[in-house]
This record gives sequence, structure tokens and C-alpha cells, in this order.
Amino acid sequence: MIKTALAWTAAIVAALLLGSLGISALVGRDLVSLWLEPWTLPYFHKGVVGGSLVAVPCAVLGCLVVLRRMAFLGDALSHAMLAGVCGGYLLMKLAFGAEAHIGGMVIGAVIASLITLALIAFVSRLTRIKEDTAIGIMYTGIFAAGVVLVSLLQRHIHIDIYHFIVGDVLGIGDSDLWVAAVVGALVLSMVVLFYRQLQLASFDRIMAAAIGLPVVLIDYMLTTGVSLVVVSGVRMVGVVMVVGLLVSPAACAYLLCNRLATMMVLAGLFGVTGVIGGMYTAEWFGTSGGGAIILFVTFQFLVVLMAAPRYGMLSRWLRLRRQLPQDLIEDVLSGILRAKGISPTLEAIRAKVAQPGGQIPRVLAFLEHESLVRRDGPGWALTDEGRVEATRMRRAHRLWESYLHKTGVPDDQLHDHAELLEHVNDPDTLAYLDQILGHPERDPHGSEIPRPVPVFEHPVPLRQLAPGHRGQVAVLAPAARGLDLSLGETVIVTAHADGSWTLHRETGGDVICDDEMADAVLINVVQRAQFA
Amino acid sequence: MATDRVARRALDLHHVTVSYGPRPALLDVSVSIEPGQLIGIIGPNGAGKSTLVKAILGFVEPDFGTVQVFGEQLSRAPRRIAYVPQRGAVDWDFPVRVIDVAAMGCYGRVPWWRRLGPSEHREAEEALNAVGMLPYRDRQIGELSGGQQQRVFLARALAQGSEILLLDEPLAGVDAATERTIMRVLRNARDQGRTLLVVHHDLATAAEYFDRLLLLKQRVLAFGPPATVLQEDLLNEVYEGRLRSFTHAITGEHEAVSE
Repeated sequence: MIKTALAWTAAIVAALLLGSLGISALVGRDLVSLWLEPWTLPYFHKGVVGGSLVAVPCAVLGCLVVLRRMAFLGDALSHAMLAGVCGGYLLMKLAFGAEAHIGGMVIGAVIASLITLALIAFVSRLTRIKEDTAIGIMYTGIFAAGVVLVSLLQRHIHIDIYHFIVGDVLGIGDSDLWVAAVVGALVLSMVVLFYRQLQLASFDRIMAAAIGLPVVLIDYMLTTGVSLVVVSGVRMVGVVMVVGLLVSPAACAYLLCNRLATMMVLAGLFGVTGVIGGMYTAEWFGTSGGGAIILFVTFQFLVVLMAAPRYGMLSRWLRLRRQLPQDLIEDVLSGILRAKGISPTLEAIRAKVAQPGGQIPRVLAFLEHESLVRRDGPGWALTDEGRVEATRMRRAHRLWESYLHKTGVPDDQLHDHAELLEHVNDPDTLAYLDQILGHPERDPHGSEIPRPVPVFEHPVPLRQLAPGHRGQVAVLAPAARGLDLSLGETVIVTAHADGSWTLHRETGGDVICDDEMADAVLINVVQRAQFA
Repeated sequence: MATDRVARRALDLHHVTVSYGPRPALLDVSVSIEPGQLIGIIGPNGAGKSTLVKAILGFVEPDFGTVQVFGEQLSRAPRRIAYVPQRGAVDWDFPVRVIDVAAMGCYGRVPWWRRLGPSEHREAEEALNAVGMLPYRDRQIGELSGGQQQRVFLARALAQGSEILLLDEPLAGVDAATERTIMRVLRNARDQGRTLLVVHHDLATAAEYFDRLLLLKQRVLAFGPPATVLQEDLLNEVYEGRLRSFTHAITGEHEAVSE
């Protein structure tokens, strides 16, 4: 755990160093001025502090937005604000003569968001219009109302639609910082206080309702929180990109952890790194602040998507690559079986397997772990289970050969085709082949095709069993009374030759029965011999 | 006294009707359930089984009728019923671990301003232990097999400490060994005096698993011991001939087909 954390930190530091070397060459500044000079600029401070004040609550609530699949709703809320901002602006100006009153605009924005939500809920519940369409209609409509309002009253309202759309992180004022701080404190304390309620209502709504949580109230609380953070985020990055601040850091965290609380903390961190990275980018290349922040947040997401230890693309790819091919596993098993008694060494197995053998040591380790093979001196031997599995493969191979022979495949090609087809070997397939071939006993080369023994669910007469079957004596009919067997004891069928059955008693000693006695002993099979 | 008699019942439904349109999901459902029993709710698809569960949980408001839990109105007894959701209703990618899910069982008892304490964590662990899932406590729930997931939610319901457990198809899509484990846990809970209502889809095992069966198709068509509920003509009527080889269903030789 600590090791991986250290490795990650080292990797990040190395990447930062390399990246900044490249950038310092690109923009022609030395490393020190590259990293430290921006901090001498007041707007940079304000941008980082204000951006973080916005990004952290955005990211924390964003976790719930991501988990509840509400991202589109966040987008809608941000757009709908414009009308509310205009309304608030206008009202404060007309009523109190206050120009661009920030409180009025924020409250107006929140009210507009809530009205949008109500309209969406109204349309999607009462008509056949589904929710996503309702969202699409309502938010564009209300956004458009805002746009029209602003252009209509442009002599009274001084709102720059361009800044509203793309944000203006470099022009953050003290009042914006205050709004962000108050909103952040409100939202974070809401999450901390009602963490369990928010978690349960998001995870299992029915149970939340069943234990008496006010789920509808929790929904409203959450959406109000979302519209609050969105309102404060729009100032920095604009209506279009604020949803990125909401969901991207949360999505990064989602790929990295297994607990909601951890996810929220990580998302907050990613929000802050996103703002800092974005501000540097903007400063170095002289670009739009909001754009740079969202670009950096997206870049972070792509990096995490690639490199996340468990849910990332890279680890997925490695996992798939590391998976041992089933074909090779089966070939190794049949290779050992074909060695007939002598335990083959690694080289001998390699020689028997038709595929490239680089992975064979790992296949053997896997088979040993599954107790299908065991070490035997310098070589490898099959365990009982391994023998059953390998014999099943052999049966598949020989059935396929018989089938290929029947369909007219030339004899010299039988083996190669069967080598591929033997891996198609589920019980139904083999039963089908067996049936259409008329239950053959030997394959085209004259080798015996091993045959599975059926499973029994009820006590069966000994006469139906084969060597290898193990079970408890369930019934002793009169004809078997003379035998040295007692009810309930465990026996193994060890041999069967014409008219004579040998049972090995687990307590010691063998019992031999003739056909008539074998009909009279009923056994509850607990372990079947899969192949005779 | 009358109230005494009512109070001894775990669950009392009086004329419960729930509708989502002209066709009711539940119509005039009245049933009284004694405590300490393992009850199977059976019926064809669309019979209102899940709606019944939701109505008992108070998640769906009946158009008419009342649900009483140990003689009290449902709204006054929210914590006396625990619920195990259908597998399909859960987001298995949600970032919660096994132990977090079990701990949710304690949420109803802890006031909102208090954090979960050591005693709640202990209860969650005990509940996991009871279903044999304690070794998996730190796994994310999506990493478990279907049967293990089912057991985790069972543990959550046990941790709620409720007298009544509602389970929505807990045996759907689990293997035979898991089915046995789950049934053992359910019987244990019943033997401790809890009342369990289980939505069940497999008629072949219904008689073996449950003390009482509730045959539902919008209305309660039968409620009683399995032998009296599993009548051929009754089932044929309810399942509208979609039920083949009924006698085999009862003896368990073949799986009943209710599609």
C-alpha cells in the first residue's frame, strides 16, 4: 500500500519535472520562473484560491451526480441560471438601485434552477415526454429566455454573455470569492452532516424510504446543492464547462476507489489539482483561464482512465494479457496424460504442446495451484482430478477426430483439426457428437474413446457402478446379507471383471461380490469416477 | 381484547388497493400474518408481488386501505421492517464495500447528527458473520458472485434488527449451493422469531421452503399452508395454462414453467 503510494508519487513528480522541462523549453523560461513567477501575480492567486473554492464542493457533490447519473441535469441547471441572473439583476436594480448586486443574482440563479427542475419534473411525470427530452427542452428554453432578456435590456443590464458562456477566472473579484466560500461551506457541511442519508438514498432508494428517510427532501437538498455550486462555478468557467468541473474530478475518483467517502476526498483533490494545473497552463500559454482549467481536468481524467490500478484501461489490458489461454492449459494437461506414466519434464511437455511454449511454466504453476498436477521428481504428474480433466480432453479430441473422419476430412489432417476442435468440449457438444457418431468405442486410429460415467442422485445398485466410484452403502437386500458390509459405511469400487466386483472398505479390507450380490447392494454415490 | 389480538400479528393488510392506472396492481388485498413464519409470495409475472412489497415498506402509497405492523400504523413503525432488494435493482458499481452495506442496516437506529460508533460496526460484522461473508468485508460489492451479493444484503437486513424481513426474489439466479445457504439463513432468522416474506418464482421449491404461501394475482387468491395453496385447478387458473406439468412442480421433479 505504502509502496504503491510512493511509486505513484515518484511517477507524478517525474512526470511533472519532465513536463515542465519541456514546457520551459517551449515558452523560453527557466524552471524557477515557470513555477514561481505566476504566484507573484495577484490574479493568479485569486484564480487558484477562488477556483479551488468552487472546484472542491463541485467535485464532492459531483460524486453523487455521477453515481445518480444526473450529469445532464447539472448541465441544464447551469444554462437555466442566465434567466435567473437577469431577473435578480433587474429586480435589485429596480427595487434598490443596486447595480450588479451579486446576492440578488445568485438567489435569482438558484430560483431559476429550481423552477427549471420543477418544469422538468412536471413535463416528464405528467406527459409521455421522457425526462431527458424534458431537460433538453426546458433548459434551452430558459437559457434562451435569458439571452433574449439580456439583449432586450442591454441598456439596463450589464451582463457579458460571452463571459457567462466561457467564464472569466482571471477576472474574479472579492465578491465572487465570498460567494464561492459561503456556497462551499454550505454544501460541504451538508455533505458531511447528511453523508449517510445521501449515500443510502443514492444507493438504495427503497430501503432509504423504508427506514423513514425523507428521500424526496434529500433529492431536493441535493439538487439545490448542485445548483448552488453550479452558480458559483459559472463565474469561473462558464455555463458550458461547469459540468466538467462537476463530473470530471468525480469520475477520476470513481475509477480509483471503492468507498464513497474516499471518492469524495479524492474528487476534491482532483478538483484542486485541476484548477492549479489549469491556471499554470493559462499563465504559461496566455490562454483563457476557464478553458485551460477544464482542459486540464479532462487531461487528468484521461491519465487516470489509462493508468488507474484496477479500473483503468492499462490494467485491464494487462489483466487480459496475463490471462492464461484455456487452450494452452488443456494442451498441457493432455500433454502430461500422453506421456503415459512417466512424469514428463518441462522440456518434454514443451515438445508435446503444439503452441509456443513461453507461458508453460506459468500454466504449470496455475495447474499446481488448482491441484490438477503435482511435481514428481524432475517432472510433472497428473493428480486424480487432473487425470479426469485430461481424460475429458482426450475424449473430446478422439470424438472430434471420429467426427472429422466421418465428414470426409483426409486422415493426415485429422489430428491438426481435432487439436483445435478439442477445446470445444462442453458436455452437451460431446454428447451430441457421441450420439450422431453412434456411440463409437474407438477413434479412426483405433484408439479407445474414454467414456464418462453418469451421475446418480439416488442409491444405485453396485452393478451399475464402475471402478473409482465412492459412496455409502444405503441398502442391503436379502441376497447381499451374507457380505461383510454394514449400512452407512463408505466403500470404493476398486475392480470389476467378468461377474466379480471388488469393493474396498474404508475401514480396511476388500469385499468381493458376484453379479447377483452386486444387484442387491445399493450405494449412495458421493464421489463419481468420471471416466471408466 | 381486540387490540391485543391485533398486536400479536406481525403484519395486517386491510383492503389494500394500489393502482398505476385503470388496472390495479393490487386490489383489495387483506391478509394477516402471524409472527415467526417463513412466507412465500408467489404469482405470475405482473401479479403485483413487487408492488405488495413496496406497499408494505411504505414506498408506495395505497389508493385505499391500510398496512399495520404489530398493530401500529406503518408510518409509526418504519424500522420494524427490513428489505432485501431484487438483484437487478442495485447498482453494483456503486463505491461501497461489503462492510459499508452491512452497516447501512444500522442507519435507521442512529440519529442523523451522530456518527456510527463501534457498537454499530460490531453489529454489522456480526451480521456478516451470520451469513458467512465476514472474510469479504473489504471487497467492493461488484466483485462478489451473485449469491455472495445476495448474502450481503441479507446481512444488512439482519443488522437492521427488524422483526419483519421482506425479500424480493432472493433466490433468482443463484446456484443450488447458494440457495441452500440462503434458505438456512432465512430459517435461522425465522427460528429466532422473525417474520419473513419472500417473493419467490419457483413453484417447484415453494412447498419445501415455506411455512405459508400467499398466492397473488392482483388479489389474494389463496393464503395458507403450501398443500392448500398449491391446488392444480387454482394454479392453472392463476397461471392461465402457462404452467406445465404441475404435478411435477409439486413433487419437485421438474421445474415449473411459469412463462
